[in-house]
Parts: sequence; C-alpha cells; structure tokens
Amino acid sequence: MNVTGDINQAASAGEGAALDPREAAKILEQAKMQARRQFDPQSALAAVVGAGVFLFGYGAVWWSMRDQHVYSGPAGWSLAVLYGLIAVSAIVGGVALSRANAGVSGKARRQRQAQAAALAAAGVGAWVIEGALRYRGVSFEIVYGVYGPTVPLIALAAVAAGINAMRESWLQLGVCIAIIGVASLSTFFGPLGAWGLTGLGCCLVLLAYAAALVVQQRRA
Amino acid sequence: MTTNTLEPLDPLIHVPARLRILVTLAALNEGDTLSFTRLQNMLDLTPGNLITHLRKLEDARYLTSEKTGDGAGSTTIVALTTRGRAALDAYTEALRKLLGGLVS
Repeated sequence: MNVTGDINQAASAGEGAALDPREAAKILEQAKMQARRQFDPQSALAAVVGAGVFLFGYGAVWWSMRDQHVYSGPAGWSLAVLYGLIAVSAIVGGVALSRANAGVSGKARRQRQAQAAALAAAGVGAWVIEGALRYRGVSFEIVYGVYGPTVPLIALAAVAAGINAMRESWLQLGVCIAIIGVASLSTFFGPLGAWGLTGLGCCLVLLAYAAALVVQQRRA
Repeated sequence: MTTNTLEPLDPLIHVPARLRILVTLAALNEGDTLSFTRLQNMLDLTPGNLITHLRKLEDARYLTSEKTGDGAGSTTIVALTTRGRAALDAYTEALRKLLGGLVS
C-alpha cells in the first residue's frame, strides 16, 4: 500500500490540498482539547481554591476547638474564616461557570441550571435537617460538631457524583466518592475528628485532583 | 490479493480554520448553540474570515446560523447540524485510517 500516495490523493481535493493529514490530525486534537477546556468550568485553580477552603476553613474551626475537653463549639473568628473562604470559593466557581457558559445557549445551559438546582436542594435539605435535629434536642456536639461539617458535604458530593456519573467524568466521580469516604469516616472521631480529618482529607483529595488536571492538560 | 482502499478526506473540512470550527462546535452538546463572538474569540479569527468559512459550512448544511436582534444589539448564533456532526465523525475516521490510528 502506498500510504504517501493515498495521503496526497486525499489531501489534493479543494482548499485542503496544502494541509498535510498529519498536521490535520494535530489541529483536530488541539482544537478538541482547547474546546473541552474552555467549555468545562472545572479547573485546577478552582480545585486548589477548594483545597484551601478545606485546609484553612475547616482547619481554623479545628484549631479553635483543639483544647476543649468538653465540647463548647468553635470560636466566632474560626467560623468567620470558614464562611469567608466558602464565599471566596463560591465567587471563583461562579466566575469559572459564567466563563464556560459565555455565548453558549440551549441544552447545556439548561442542564447546568438543573444541576445547580439539584445541588442547592441537597445542600438546603441537609442544613434543614441539621436545624430539625437541634430542634428535637440532639446535642450541640452531634449537630454542629459532627453532622455540620460532614453530612451537608456528603449530600452535595453525592449529587455531584451522580452528575459526573451521567457525564462519564470518571476522574470527577472519583473525587466525589473520595470526599464522601473521607467525610463519613471522620464522623467516627467526634467533633475534632470531623472538622480536622474532613478538612485535611478533602484538601489532599482536591490537591491530587488539581495535579491530575494539570497532567491531563500537559499530555494534551 | 486484498486491496485496502482509503476514503478521501472531505475537502470542505480539510482546511485548518473549518476543521477547528467544526471541532469546537462538536464539543457542545447536540442542539446547543454558540455565539459568533465567542467562537471568534476561541478560534482567534477575524470576523470576515470566520464569516467566509461559516458560509461555506452552512452551504453544505454542516451548520446553521441565526441572527437575532437589530443593529449593535444583534447576536448571531451558530450550531452544528446532525449532518455536520456525521461529516466530522466520517472525516475523523478517514484521517484515523489514513494515519494508522494516530487520531483519537
């Protein structure tokens, strides 16, 4: 088989005559990767910001409670750090999402809105149950020390896992499952373990995810 | 004796700018549209150049474009058709056969 002859014959028709098929294959792969990157709101930077929220936000709460022999709750400053960092990460995520969605309309936009609604419902539902548990007399230690840092996170990660499974995004699915595993196992260690281990474990998971995204992009 | 015939590459797609246009639009979900401005920014093409290529692809019914609004507020949106997606798949397959599996 004369491959060179076939290539030239294939390339000789129309305006593509000057384009070598090998060059065409390179353009195709690069354009595919570039489009995926630009339409995908998930980035290594967003993952590192998320890791920072877990390390410093959850870490601050853990730090403020580390010497408590009897649970009396986290210090106000540590909650301010936690919620401040959550707000920063929400802004970073929102910017990344709006950049990815810019100029896109149709099914994808509607799908993302539906996914956001599902995530919001899971988060709000988990926090409502937290309030209900306290209302029914469950101790502060369990409600705010163990349930608070883990169950809402597990609920959000479970919805995100379902979304990623539907999209066949296996790396992201693995991240969600790892977060669920870390958060659920940490509940065995009481309030300090729930805040400390969840913070450290989820930080490591997200840093590993960011590294995997960078490797993927470099390979492309 | 067996003959190994290779399909010719679609000459309409086998042009760098048009290949990038189709691949970019194919990265969206089926039925989604992309604004002309975003497409132009992503591909770093001049408006005139992009319009020329889009017209050729539209003539072949590989994509559709629609203009909404008037004057400065008008927006043009572009979408890949089923025929365009199939043509890109066929082109990718032909390129893969030609190069012996170098294309994913």
